[in-house]
Amino acid sequence: MTLINRIRLVAIGLALSLSSAVVKADVVAVVSTKSPITALSRSQVADIFLGKRSGFPNGVQAFPVDQAEGSAVRDEFYSKVVGKTAAQIKAYWSKILFTGRGRPPPTVSNNLEMKKRISDNPAAVGYIDRNVVDDSVRVVF
Amino acid sequence: MPRITRSKLWRTPYSLCAIVLIALLPSPASVRAAAEDPSSSMFSLSGFGTLGVVHSSEHDADFTSTIFKPNGAGYSHDWSPDVDSLIGAQVNANFSPHLSAMVQVISEQTYDNNYRPHVEWANIKYELTPDASVRVGRTVLASFLVSDTRNIGYANPWVRPPVEVYSLVPIDSSDGIDASYKWHIGDLVQTFVGTYGATTSTQPTGGNAEARRQWNISDTLEYGAATLRIAYQRANLTLDGLHTFFGAFRQFGPQGNLLADKYDPYRKPLEFIGIGAMYNPRDWFVTGEWGTSQFHSVLGESTAWYASGGYRLAKFTPYLTYGALKANSNVSDPGLTVSALPPYLTGPAMGLNAGLNAILGSIAIQRTTSAGLRWDFMKNVDLKLQYDHTGLGAGSPGTLINLQPGFQRGGTVNLFSAAIDFLW
Repeated sequence: MTLINRIRLVAIGLALSLSSAVVKADVVAVVSTKSPITALSRSQVADIFLGKRSGFPNGVQAFPVDQAEGSAVRDEFYSKVVGKTAAQIKAYWSKILFTGRGRPPPTVSNNLEMKKRISDNPAAVGYIDRNVVDDSVRVVF
Repeated sequence: MPRITRSKLWRTPYSLCAIVLIALLPSPASVRAAAEDPSSSMFSLSGFGTLGVVHSSEHDADFTSTIFKPNGAGYSHDWSPDVDSLIGAQVNANFSPHLSAMVQVISEQTYDNNYRPHVEWANIKYELTPDASVRVGRTVLASFLVSDTRNIGYANPWVRPPVEVYSLVPIDSSDGIDASYKWHIGDLVQTFVGTYGATTSTQPTGGNAEARRQWNISDTLEYGAATLRIAYQRANLTLDGLHTFFGAFRQFGPQGNLLADKYDPYRKPLEFIGIGAMYNPRDWFVTGEWGTSQFHSVLGESTAWYASGGYRLAKFTPYLTYGALKANSNVSDPGLTVSALPPYLTGPAMGLNAGLNAILGSIAIQRTTSAGLRWDFMKNVDLKLQYDHTGLGAGSPGTLINLQPGFQRGGTVNLFSAAIDFLW
């Protein structure tokens, strides 16, 4: 194996691991930098997104915002943080919607929209890929 | 259709209440409105449905899912689409952050064997706080763990909730008021719901079932993926078809009166206690319920339970369920003492005794083992296949209906069900 080939292989390997790092990017829960909330537990985040908890621990009402159905970041969030598959979440909300007990959170179409929505509203809570976090939002989980 | 007209009239006060409520409420300062999704419209339409077929090995009786259906699989149909199929539509209206309303209409097989849509639920909800709300109108009467989603196949793991427990109290709506309060103790979420109202329903066998002064209280504890729920329900129940039958006993003096007082389902208390639990992490579930119903009348007392579990493998969720239903009350009665009667009355008395014992003996006793598979094969659609093996209690027809002369009580029944559930 020539040196050139070896370098090529390493480069391909690096590219592959980088791209898989992008695909598996961590999802983080975020609030506005104007929010007094600095940290939430996994179960607090899960309960807010499942409508089981209406407020932050400080008593202020929380407004969860979802990413689009079928998006990778949404599936990742529900799988890792809430512990449910996309179909289970759909079934969960159909239960609540069809008895008139509540509605699922409103949705935004991507990370950028989410950051815009979150940074504007101190009561909102959302989730984005960790690698797109900037100073418009604060990671709370 | 005088019956429909009458029931519509009877429900009018609630729609009046609703209009009055809307008119009286001040438009609340919209602290929340600014935070809510500005693109969400005031009205939203959504729906659900199930297309299912059921085949039964018992050809001399019908299997069906509730007592409100006139026929099903077995005797009436080799493959019945009526047992599980339904379609529902719901309109939600959000007038303000505090005030909302919903109407849910369902089309499914009715007592008179057509698919005329009926209003399942219709109510106005006022949220005092995000954790406390009051609803007025027709709301869910949640006797069981999955009463809320009894009609929404997609939300349940099985083709239908286990009939052993869910046949104990077949009513799932109440016209009246309900209040809900939720609070948190650390990571524990507790929800208390109280419902008060009345329900009128028409039975395929003729006559109305009327539950008055009906109240239900339930407490649900949720901790992560675990749910525990306990409910108590009470009502005054009248089945007017049977009331006429027991009126005939009153022609037979003190003994006849005693029998009628004991068995006539006329304004008799109905009590129900139910406990249910579920643990549902991402990849598997276990759930079980226990319930006991006491109709202080010829309908008797029953106790039932089931346990069910499933494991998710990618898009497939195989599951197993075992359910049992037993009677706690007497299944026969000596009835009127025929020998003490003048000869011209012995014939009618024997007829009444036979009728009484036919009703007492038809109380459902059965055990079912089920195996099934749910396949989430596309977004918002699942396919389920389920096999049920039911052993009927000695002398009991179980929950089967339309018993034919060749029907053998105490036998076994095998069911095969296939269903597609969807949300739209």
